[in-house]
Amino acid sequence: MTPLLEVRSLNKIYDNGVHAIKNISISVNKGEFLGIIGLSGSGKSTLLRCINRLVEPTSGEVLLDQINLTQLPFKEMRQKRRQIGMIFQHFNLIRRKSVLTNVLTGSLGSTSTLRSVCALFEDEARERALEKLQAVGLVDKAQTRADELSGGQQQRVAIARALMQDPELLLADEPVASLDPATSHSVMDYLKKANQEYGKTIVCNLHFLSIVRQYATRVIALKAGEIVYTGAATEIDAAWFKRIYGEDAKEVEIR
Amino acid sequence: MSEVFQKRVAREQRQAFRRAWFINFLLLYYFCFALSYLVFHFLALEDGITAHSKLLGLYLLLCIVVGYLWSRSPASAGRWMVERTNPVLKGLQKQPSLQKWLRSASGIFSLLLLILTLCLGWILTEMDMRALFSVQGLGGARRIFTSLIKPELGILEMVLEAMVVTIFIALMATILAIPIAFVASFFMARNLMKFSRSALFIYNSLRFIANFTRSVEPLIWAIIFSVWVGIGPFAGMLALMLHSFAALTKLYSEQIENIDRGPLEAIEATGANRIQVVWYAVVPQIILPYLSFTIYRWDINIRMATIIGLVGGGGIGTLLMQYQGLARWHEVGTIIIVIAIVVWIMDYLSARIREAIY
Ligand SMILES: Nc1ncnc2c1ncn2[C@@H]1O[C@H](COP(=O)(O)OP(=O)(O)OP(=O)(O)O)[C@@H](O)[C@H]1O
Ligand SMILES: [Mg+2]
Repeated sequence: MTPLLEVRSLNKIYDNGVHAIKNISISVNKGEFLGIIGLSGSGKSTLLRCINRLVEPTSGEVLLDQINLTQLPFKEMRQKRRQIGMIFQHFNLIRRKSVLTNVLTGSLGSTSTLRSVCALFEDEARERALEKLQAVGLVDKAQTRADELSGGQQQRVAIARALMQDPELLLADEPVASLDPATSHSVMDYLKKANQEYGKTIVCNLHFLSIVRQYATRVIALKAGEIVYTGAATEIDAAWFKRIYGEDAKEVEIR
Repeated sequence: MSEVFQKRVAREQRQAFRRAWFINFLLLYYFCFALSYLVFHFLALEDGITAHSKLLGLYLLLCIVVGYLWSRSPASAGRWMVERTNPVLKGLQKQPSLQKWLRSASGIFSLLLLILTLCLGWILTEMDMRALFSVQGLGGARRIFTSLIKPELGILEMVLEAMVVTIFIALMATILAIPIAFVASFFMARNLMKFSRSALFIYNSLRFIANFTRSVEPLIWAIIFSVWVGIGPFAGMLALMLHSFAALTKLYSEQIENIDRGPLEAIEATGANRIQVVWYAVVPQIILPYLSFTIYRWDINIRMATIIGLVGGGGIGTLLMQYQGLARWHEVGTIIIVIAIVVWIMDYLSARIREAIY
């Protein structure tokens, strides 16, 4: 089986000279839930952002369905972005707009500029948006302003927005890092649902190993921009943990 | 200290020294200029400026040399100024106490400079206490004040008509400036325009035009336009519109530069195009501040519209100028009272509206 996403010797050197990711190669099969762990500053966000080119990689290739994204002209890259949903730590919703409008922004890529500026989304898109809200259990809040929701609810709206693109791949950058443990699990459950019921492939940066063990099918660990571990999440034992997080680290359970 | 850091410090110090030298030179030169101007003025030997230009060469040489020697001292005015604004050097510097600094040469020098400046200013602005308190002058003042507080109400209708014209000058100028400024502000926001070289070029050119337009007072634009389209409200409106456009784009684009990048990235990640990103991620974040700025601008425009009338921009300002020219102080009184009331009402309204928005 050819992998859905393949990253080949990817490098990113920021303008200030920081070599954030070094020669990273990974491949992700369709249907996988890949967790990425690593200390703060190890390059997790950079790697994720290089995949949909929110950050321009310095060298290397990113292949989605065998097509190299790093070489695409910007217009075609935009087309490709539709197939890659993204979820952020701080939700990044449009605060003053309704939940429904926020979900509808997920379909901007397939809406004409004129229609979207007049907020004339197709009926079909509205239906789909409500459906996605149903899927994350927030259909009652469709007309509420996004900033009136709790953090967990906002992240669920963000998931609905990403699903609205009907993407093949979902990138999630620490989706539960600013939520409490109970809410974290509910949000992760919706990601799991997207993975198992809708068959979305997921690449997810995570902080807590306990969450990784529970949700990810496979995990890679980054340290100073390099991969130091690849394998099943359950196989990360105390020794590996120390290698990834340093000698002094202690594992914290979050249930 | 590591070697790299030492090098950095040395480089900063060399640069700081050159800058300090330049500042010291300017200060000393100003000192020489002011001193010689005063000396020649009081001796009444020669005009201050002519005398100064004869001694120019000597002064330049003196100031460069003394400036150089002086900037070797850490207490010199130039060094003090430069080191204050340099993050590295300021961090390394042992802060001299204020008293020590005052006692030091630069403290005395600054004090001298201040005194010299005040003396020079007194002469150049032709300050004259005898004029302010002469019998004749006080009589004139009494005459004008008594007329002003007994306004001639016969012309009230005409004054109100002119006031309405002025209000509409401000209104039109604001309304017409809004859409232009709105569109232009997106092209003048650095965070939206840094994606390519040509975009940055547009950004820089627009910035330049707006900055230039803004730095020319609306009063001067009114003079220009009154020659162009003739004296009257149209000229005043154009002048105000141009200035409002420049002022609004600055405020607007600064607002755009301060937005939260998160939603921007999120919308970009959906595959939306540039216009869609701006419309969904930028506009909702800026619309309220824009409204507030615009109302504030309209408030300013009302005041400016009266002033602009003085140089031929039409409306109540022009009327004021006519009666003032005829020395009809009772009528002038009426006009001033009407202006004051209208400005006060607009002030109050705009403050309330802006409060309500936030
Ligand atoms: N825009 C940027 N410009 C310059 N350097 C950056 C930029 N973004 C990140 N870096 C640097 O790149 C390195 C990796 O950062 P990155 O954000 O990818 O780490 P991370 O693993 O996501 O950390 P965290 O867990 O804190 O989010 C860091 O050293 C960071 O300082
Ligand atoms: Mg990160």
